[in-house]
Amino acid sequence: MEKTPFIEIRGLRKVYKLGKERVVALENINLTIERGEICCILGTSGSGKSTLLNMMAGLERPTKGQVLYSGKDVSRFDERRWALFRQKNIGFVFQSYNLMTSLSGIENVAMPLMFRGMDKDRRTRIAKEALREVGLGNRMKHRPSQMSGGQQQRVGIARAFVTKPKIVFADEPTGNLDTKTTTEVMELMVNKSRENNQTFILVTHDNGIARYADRIVTIVDGKIVGDEKNESIARTREQIAADKAAAAGQQAKEEQAPAAADAGAANTSTGGAE
Amino acid sequence: MKIFDQISMCLQNLSRRKVRTTLTTMGVVVGTCAIVVMISLGVGMQESLEAMLAQMGDLTKIEIYNYSGGRGDSGNEVPNLDDSVIEQIAAYDHVEVVTPIVQAEWGKVKIRCGDYEYNDSIYGVYPEALEKLGYELSEGKFPTGKEKEIAVLFGENAPYSFNDTKNPDVWFSPYDNEDPPVDIFNDTFTISVGREDEEDKSGKDPEKHDMVITGRLVGDWNKGYETVYGVFLPIDKLYELYKEYDSYNGISSSSSTAFNPRKINYDHAYVKVTDMDYVDEVETKIKDLGYDTYSMETMRKPLQEQVRNTMLLLGGLGGISLLVAAMGITNTMVMSIYERTREIGIMKVLGCVIGDIRTIFLMEAGLIGFGGGVIGVMLSFIISAVLNILGGGGSVGGMMGGGYYDGSGMATQLSVIPPWLVALALVFSTLIGLISGFSPANRAVKISALEAIKHE
Repeated sequence: MEKTPFIEIRGLRKVYKLGKERVVALENINLTIERGEICCILGTSGSGKSTLLNMMAGLERPTKGQVLYSGKDVSRFDERRWALFRQKNIGFVFQSYNLMTSLSGIENVAMPLMFRGMDKDRRTRIAKEALREVGLGNRMKHRPSQMSGGQQQRVGIARAFVTKPKIVFADEPTGNLDTKTTTEVMELMVNKSRENNQTFILVTHDNGIARYADRIVTIVDGKIVGDEKNESIARTREQIAADKAAAAGQQAKEEQAPAAADAGAANTSTGGAE
Repeated sequence: MKIFDQISMCLQNLSRRKVRTTLTTMGVVVGTCAIVVMISLGVGMQESLEAMLAQMGDLTKIEIYNYSGGRGDSGNEVPNLDDSVIEQIAAYDHVEVVTPIVQAEWGKVKIRCGDYEYNDSIYGVYPEALEKLGYELSEGKFPTGKEKEIAVLFGENAPYSFNDTKNPDVWFSPYDNEDPPVDIFNDTFTISVGREDEEDKSGKDPEKHDMVITGRLVGDWNKGYETVYGVFLPIDKLYELYKEYDSYNGISSSSSTAFNPRKINYDHAYVKVTDMDYVDEVETKIKDLGYDTYSMETMRKPLQEQVRNTMLLLGGLGGISLLVAAMGITNTMVMSIYERTREIGIMKVLGCVIGDIRTIFLMEAGLIGFGGGVIGVMLSFIISAVLNILGGGGSVGGMMGGGYYDGSGMATQLSVIPPWLVALALVFSTLIGLISGFSPANRAVKISALEAIKHE
């Protein structure tokens, strides 16, 4: 059955000019990503993976080629249309969290809703709910500076998912986190995406967290060199679940554990439907 | 984004950097204060100038002098100032009323009440013009010009200017609480022509005409001597009396001294203009006809120009400080954008449209300007009050609005802040804020979201 792909990248090319030198960051990228897919773009630093993400999110303009969402070419959108497009369809999780330092957790999470013009009471309610879902029910009024890295990233995740965007981008979301927190954060994001059938695009250099994805696209020197389903990589999703169960056992004392287990259940059910 | 959210975000941003916001606002406060106080001094000067001039004479009156003898300065023929010319002048824009005002030649007209004879200036005017000249009645009413008898209007103290013909050395003064020798509303007055030779009592006396006194004016030295001691009668009646005088005294119409109604050439006329602002315009037109004129305008104009120049100078000084404040705002906003680059980037990535970002920054700058303006205006009122107390010599009279010019307390004030100045200051300071914030706001908008979120 032929249908319009959810995200389609056609012949994307990006060339940077550094003085007189021309650096090709991306060369003829062609990629299709389906709705609800959890896709990892894996590459070393300088491979062009972040550039690809930036162009998919409208933060950079491609030198050549197109990005289509549901068949609609967005690569030539102006800044305003991109802003509105991101407002409606895209959530972001950053490596360095990028929270507003002067705002509380709630206000940070409510910000994308504010940009949409939602009134304050409603967006505060939604933001509180979103923070509770990421396990920060008790730290909602804290400023980012009063939170740990993991907590900040949870706020970041709540902010990315609060608008129920169709696509969530995460650029090295665990780069600043320790291993344990990395697991929690990754699971949180993956589970949330599955719950809402959201497309989740993860950009990383870390093979370890790539395993959370359904699909791994490997980029080297601006070219796609590998595009594999996760099954062909050592671990299956079931194995991840088993790992997580073991991890949950270890961390039984942690307050986050029940939430993670709940999310795990949701994870398997979504997996089954697929 | 909702406007309310924009405002609250802008307030949040400003309150986050309290010290800087306060200092920047203070710059605007000082600038606004400087402008408002300086201009208020100018306004104060202008008001006291106007009060002073009003004291010296009617600011809307032009007097026409026709002493050129038919020849203007340039040697051109000047038309006789007769009724048709008066009519022509009356038709000019902004002219309220025009009347000739001719002082009766001495001895030709006599006003009598029993043995008492009026012994001061008699003026021939258009009776219907008197009210419009701005004269005020203390009693009675203005003549309408339609009375059967000769209708006469008295100046305030004219009843005191009667002397007993049998005892001509006794004078009556209005300032000694005496009653005037005549009662203008109850005694009977007559008007007649005089004898050419006062000593010659031969022949029959000139005919006594009935006259009616319609009212008495409030004397006002600013409006002229005539309102105090003069009497007014219709100019046509005055000229009829002139003719009678000629025939009574046997002066032939061919004589050079004889009155010739066909060659009327008033030597003096009053023009009342609707507003002070038009005096110059009307006066120029009359001058162009070839007549000499006099009005307070000739005095007012250079004085006013001087005041205006002083005001501009003072305002300019204030303007410089506001300009410095404007640079302060720009500086603050640029710094603020530099510090908030990352935030701007985050906002953009999260889907804040650039218009909203620009609005927030402009609002912040505008608010600094407006806030500074409001505080500045309030402070100006305080400074102005202090100046007035000090400048008024600290006298209670000055504070109570007494001072030199009774009835117009404003005139003694050194510094006056009219409402328009308040409005101007607020609009100007807000505008300065917005203009200063404009380029920083555009810079904020142009920041690349990608660069910004990498910015530390």
